[in-house]
Amino acid sequence: MPERPARSFPGRPVADRLSLSMRASHLLVVLLVVAGLALAALGSALGDTFYLRLATEALIYAGLALSVDILLGYTGLLSLGQALYFGIGAYVSALTLMAVPSFWLALLAASGATLVAALIGGVIANRVRGVYFALITFGLAQVVAKVVYNTRELGASDGMIGVPVVEVPLGPFHVSTGSAPGFLLVALALLVLLYAVSAYLLDTPFGRVLIALKANERRVAFLGYSTWRARMAAYVLAALVAGLSGALYPMLRGFVSPELLYFQVSGNAVITVVVGGVGTLVGPIYGAILLTVLKSVIGSWTEHQLIVIGVLFMASVLFLPQGLIGLLRPRLARWLGRAEPPPAKAAEAEARP
Amino acid sequence: MTGQTPPVLAVERLGIAFGGLRAVDDVSFEAGRNRITTVIGPNGAGKTTLFNLISGALRPNSGHVRIDGREVTGAAPAALLRLGLARSFQITNLFFGLTVAENLRLAAQVLEPTVRAFLPVRRARVARARVGELLERFGLAAKAAELAGNLSHGEQRRLEIAVAMASRPRILLLDEPTQGMSHGDTEDTAALIRALAADVTILLIEHDIGLVMSLSHHVVVMHQGGKLAEGPPEAVRANPAVQAAYFGHA
Ligand SMILES: Nc1ncnc2c1ncn2[C@@H]1O[C@H](COP(=O)(O)OP(=O)(O)OP(=O)(O)O)[C@@H](O)[C@H]1O
Ligand SMILES: [Mg+2]
Repeated sequence: MPERPARSFPGRPVADRLSLSMRASHLLVVLLVVAGLALAALGSALGDTFYLRLATEALIYAGLALSVDILLGYTGLLSLGQALYFGIGAYVSALTLMAVPSFWLALLAASGATLVAALIGGVIANRVRGVYFALITFGLAQVVAKVVYNTRELGASDGMIGVPVVEVPLGPFHVSTGSAPGFLLVALALLVLLYAVSAYLLDTPFGRVLIALKANERRVAFLGYSTWRARMAAYVLAALVAGLSGALYPMLRGFVSPELLYFQVSGNAVITVVVGGVGTLVGPIYGAILLTVLKSVIGSWTEHQLIVIGVLFMASVLFLPQGLIGLLRPRLARWLGRAEPPPAKAAEAEARP
Repeated sequence: MTGQTPPVLAVERLGIAFGGLRAVDDVSFEAGRNRITTVIGPNGAGKTTLFNLISGALRPNSGHVRIDGREVTGAAPAALLRLGLARSFQITNLFFGLTVAENLRLAAQVLEPTVRAFLPVRRARVARARVGELLERFGLAAKAAELAGNLSHGEQRRLEIAVAMASRPRILLLDEPTQGMSHGDTEDTAALIRALAADVTILLIEHDIGLVMSLSHHVVVMHQGGKLAEGPPEAVRANPAVQAAYFGHA
């Protein structure tokens, strides 16, 4: 029974189970975009700034949560220090804007700095796995936060205030970072871009290696891939997502402070991912929106918002292991699967064309 | 062409110690092209450790591994796979949370040109075609959409071999592929392995003596880390030292 040569199968390429669940996430992101546009329109019609800025903040933290999910949900790495890259992005963006008021330059500088930091942090953190990886990422962020806290040039414990409002040139249009509805749309656009790039990459052979790492790292090396390189790639990708999201922070708030690098921020991002739905990309985005809104609403009538968040976290872990989006996404994937031949049939079709 | 072509796989004076235990001790042998070379020996003889040394899972303390005469001692598993050496595991080592087709697709994607690494998975035609072949060949087509973790033990053992075969290796290391299988499944798997040897050099670890005798072209006997004997199956079975150490009171 000699092996037959590879044949190519004509006809429409069939999406597999992982691709289908990714498409279910896409639908939910489209929904988010529609809601964002509606909110921006409604807000500017009513002259609101409070809710628009709250929503913008939610989208910025959604980017951080997305970053945690790339590691935790796809590669199986729990980072307890993702605020490190969020903070580096924010500080470098603030420094750039204060020197040269250019939106694009700020994003470029923030990504460059994040890239360098992630390569260094990745080499250190990826020496170990599991709990030790979590502790190292935690430690790295703490160390850098302390350094920032003690560096007078970076404003030390006070941080840096007076980040100027800048124009965001978008081809023929201009949006000011000071315009609440305008900047909401900028944050939404960046988040969707980060989501799209992450989702795209995770649905390529490169991304499938990351997914394989989470499923069974021990076997991945025997499939011809360096597990170290794959983990580094995931780590750097996630850091860039966090750094670019952080870059928007000083544009929204006009300041940066060492708290951005604290465990509170990293830990919140992990909670967000778990509440929203680990390994779904879109779940953490909705999780960030929910948590940001909850914190603000609860914060307006009690100081003990952390209790509520804590209870919510425990409830998700206990009762919604797939997170909030886990209730919805498999159904969407199944519905999408019906539009295509169901995976079983598709696979059979692959077996005997 | 003059001169001898070097053996596909050659192991020379290979050794590793864990603390004081010499798990593999000065073992040498060669595996002939498209032959089935079977490593036998009692539990703890060092067979799996030998596979770990050859496949790059462990670095030897001494000795050499050569593929087609090329020194590959201490190379990483990923590099060895790309040189054409693949292995299966004694303890089933699959992606249990992924479907059968996804397991195979992952294992087959090294066949794709590197540029496709960043194109959507559904465009990876070479891997997809390979998955189709493997599903058919290993009788797993009906289970393609099933999670690997939900398969029966026998099916998982078959998938374990299929995953190792996905990259079209030239050298295949199979660590007790029939372990825990029913009699019928064992027969089927033996036929499958024999068929694979048509174009793959196979190194096999097997406990079932009947199977060893019927499948092997060459047998290497290990005992307490060292090589006790080697030769054609019949000669090895007749060897008194082997009978004493391995077949016991047979
Ligand atoms: N990583 C390790 N560290 C320490 N000792 C080890 C390690 N791997 C194997 N050993 C020891 O080396 C010896 C050989 O083990 P190995 O698994 O190679 O045997 P085997 O011939 O495959 O046995 P079996 O037939 O039971 O699978 C055993 O005594 C085992 O305990
Ligand atoms: Mg063994």
